[in-house]
Amino acid sequence: MGPVSAPQRLTPRQSVALVWRTLRSMRTALILLLMIALASVAGSLLPQWPNTPERVMRYRADHPVWGTFLDRAGLFDVFGSWWFVLLTTLLFVSLVACLVPRTRALWRALRTPPMQAREIDAFPRYAQVAVAAGPDQVIDAARRVLRRHRFRVARDPSRPALAGEKGLAREIGSLGFHWALILLLTGVIYGKGTGFSGLIAVVEGQTWVDAEANYDGTIRAGRFFDGDFTGTGLRLREFRSDFQRTGQPMDFVSRVDLLDPDGSVTRREDIRVNHPARIEGLWIHQSSFGWAPVIEVTDGGQVAASGPVVMDRDPAPEGVVEFAMPWRGVVKLPGAGTDGLDRAIELELWPDSRALTALLAEQEPQAMLVEFDPIIRFSVWEGALTDLSTNRLDTTGLDEVSSGIVGAGRTADLADGAALAAGDAGSGATISFTELRQYSVFQVGRDAGVPLVLAAAILVLVGLLPALYSSRRKVWVRADPDGHGSLLRVGGLAMQRKPQFEEEFDRLVGALVSSAGGRRAPDPGAGGPGPEQREPEEHEKVQTP
Amino acid sequence: MTDLQWARISNDAFNVALFAYIAAMVGYFAHLAFKRDAIWQTARVVAVAGVVANIVSIVARGFAADRVPWGNMYEYSSLLALLVVIGALVVVEGVYKVRSLTGFALMFSVLTMAVAVSFLYVGPGPLVPALNSYWIKIHVQAAIWGSSLFALGGIATIAYLVVDRVERRSLDALGSKDRPPIMGGALDLDADAPADLVPDSAEDVETRPAKRRLVPSAAGLDRLAYRIIALAFPIWTFAVIAGAVWAQEAWGRYWGWDPKETWSFITWVIFAGYLHARATNGWKGRRAAFIALVGFASLLVTYYVVNLWIVGLHSYAK
Repeated sequence: MGPVSAPQRLTPRQSVALVWRTLRSMRTALILLLMIALASVAGSLLPQWPNTPERVMRYRADHPVWGTFLDRAGLFDVFGSWWFVLLTTLLFVSLVACLVPRTRALWRALRTPPMQAREIDAFPRYAQVAVAAGPDQVIDAARRVLRRHRFRVARDPSRPALAGEKGLAREIGSLGFHWALILLLTGVIYGKGTGFSGLIAVVEGQTWVDAEANYDGTIRAGRFFDGDFTGTGLRLREFRSDFQRTGQPMDFVSRVDLLDPDGSVTRREDIRVNHPARIEGLWIHQSSFGWAPVIEVTDGGQVAASGPVVMDRDPAPEGVVEFAMPWRGVVKLPGAGTDGLDRAIELELWPDSRALTALLAEQEPQAMLVEFDPIIRFSVWEGALTDLSTNRLDTTGLDEVSSGIVGAGRTADLADGAALAAGDAGSGATISFTELRQYSVFQVGRDAGVPLVLAAAILVLVGLLPALYSSRRKVWVRADPDGHGSLLRVGGLAMQRKPQFEEEFDRLVGALVSSAGGRRAPDPGAGGPGPEQREPEEHEKVQTP
Repeated sequence: MTDLQWARISNDAFNVALFAYIAAMVGYFAHLAFKRDAIWQTARVVAVAGVVANIVSIVARGFAADRVPWGNMYEYSSLLALLVVIGALVVVEGVYKVRSLTGFALMFSVLTMAVAVSFLYVGPGPLVPALNSYWIKIHVQAAIWGSSLFALGGIATIAYLVVDRVERRSLDALGSKDRPPIMGGALDLDADAPADLVPDSAEDVETRPAKRRLVPSAAGLDRLAYRIIALAFPIWTFAVIAGAVWAQEAWGRYWGWDPKETWSFITWVIFAGYLHARATNGWKGRRAAFIALVGFASLLVTYYVVNLWIVGLHSYAK
């Protein structure tokens, strides 16, 4: 472009070319890179919907106006927001725009021999030495020396001269690194787009089958997820948790059988936090765990409900460990109450009843790390149930009619909460706490992009090493007859790591001279060129590597 | 020996290392001020003694807890301090023959250890299940090595910016008539400036060979910072990749924009920006150095702020 002139109207073609040129420049890529970094900062400082939805809701409740604004701007889901996607896309377009011509140039450079130079004494490094051997001999020897130093060498067809080049690995590595980043992004998009992830809760002794309806809550599925569930199964044989006395967890193990779609056991596995199971392309990870007491409710001799109740725990208040909190669950029996009213039995489990005793006696919450005489406090509600989802009870429209306590392996009367001996039917409505089991929550998901992402990540690393540590350098050798032998002239140029090249160049000249029969004594009277080596000028010494 | 005895040895050795580092730091600064070789040699011996005590502390900690001794922030800090000092002694002083940065590296280690022992101390104990994987050996080691080298790179960058400023000032003082025949900030002040303008070398400009100058030129420091960061960058890249592999195994996804992941990515992006900036006209020199400083700050955020103040999967915040 010329000197500063008044802005002119560009033709559409020129504008496209300008945009393309701008996108291609390193400066644009740098600015995009720093903008992505800045966006990520926002994404880590503000709560994010995908990671901590409850914190986003709290934030929005605390700052109604500001929160709405941030939400609209996508700042509660930075990494899924349109502008983050746009920035990433622009960066990768810019990357491709920059890589394509560079790759083409590299391809050409790899296929063409090093270029000859006309004036070799103009290069930053230069040396000339009178040697004993003749020009052709000198060049043949020089060719071997350069080859030994792993230069690509080309002989000048028109005169005794050579061009050598080394360090294309730098450009190959750099391009490999950047293409690998694009491959990585492709793998991420492919894997996330076609994959899914969801949570499942399985009680000891129960079997779970991979089907859409069997996941808890919603599945996080990619845009191109085809809804193809495998039908494979998982039976939880046993769950074990170990704690230190301090309450620090030591180990969680889910001992499971993995089942074929036809129900036969393919293998047994222990799933731990750092030890997932894989079956049919599914990853199965240990996520959390809890208690599931087996409850049987009878009414007039008939079993009204029977089975394990998956319980969860209220968040612990400030200063109380979460393991001190009791577990809650509910049994909902529509139409089972008096006069056809709905009945719900709210359950509060204390897996270690000593904690309840301690709390009642000393107001001191105590962590429940092991099962010890578990008890359930229950209260019976009657009225009209508003929702039938299993885990929570909304008590509006319900009245509490009775309450009581039942220990493991025991039965209590629902009407008055009194304990019943075996065989005693009481008022006819009973609740039995048959046994205490555990359940285990697994994260089940599929990501077919993982191998591609891993391969790309390895390529990123492999490309990085030569891109950072090797340097491209060129040398030219010429031998001209000077009566008694030849005048060896060597020129050199390094694109990077110039200080190191100075030493390398000197060593190389030494090797070339000795291969050419050694330095010749100055010819008396000839006044010809003696050994001469030019020092690099100051600005060449101090350039960045 | 019992676990308790090992724990006591570890704590005592930690204190010895901390005080040795403080003494060595004072020595190195005294060397910068008075330029006596004897001071430098003494400071060096004290620093090496600190390194030995630091290693003893870390190894004893491993025996006390019966596991790798980098399972929490206290232990991580101790190892980070050790590697920064070793890096300063071996890489900066040994390979690049620059003595003037070791005092600042020691200062970084002293601060790291002081924060660790005052705020982050926990007794030796087993790992939580989430950390109990062989990946802790790979991922955490790579992260510590990368961090320690980035820290050294950050120190060299700060030194570059300071020396560059001094050189610019001297240049301005020279006025236009004697402006040296080169542009771009790389100056050999000993050669070009009048003796009274050269900091700390008024009396022996002629006699002292340029190589033995205590504080290298701005260009030299810039190059040193680049070398160290270029060494740290692939290690950091590997640490992030290893972390992603571990995350896939532990949490079922290799990347989830957890605050730690996000900040290690930010740090990576900033240093990638630095490496590119050095190859871009108009960003070389001071601008690139500022990017490296931002990267250094981001590294500190990745370690301290993310662990202590932001709730996430790497959180030590309660």
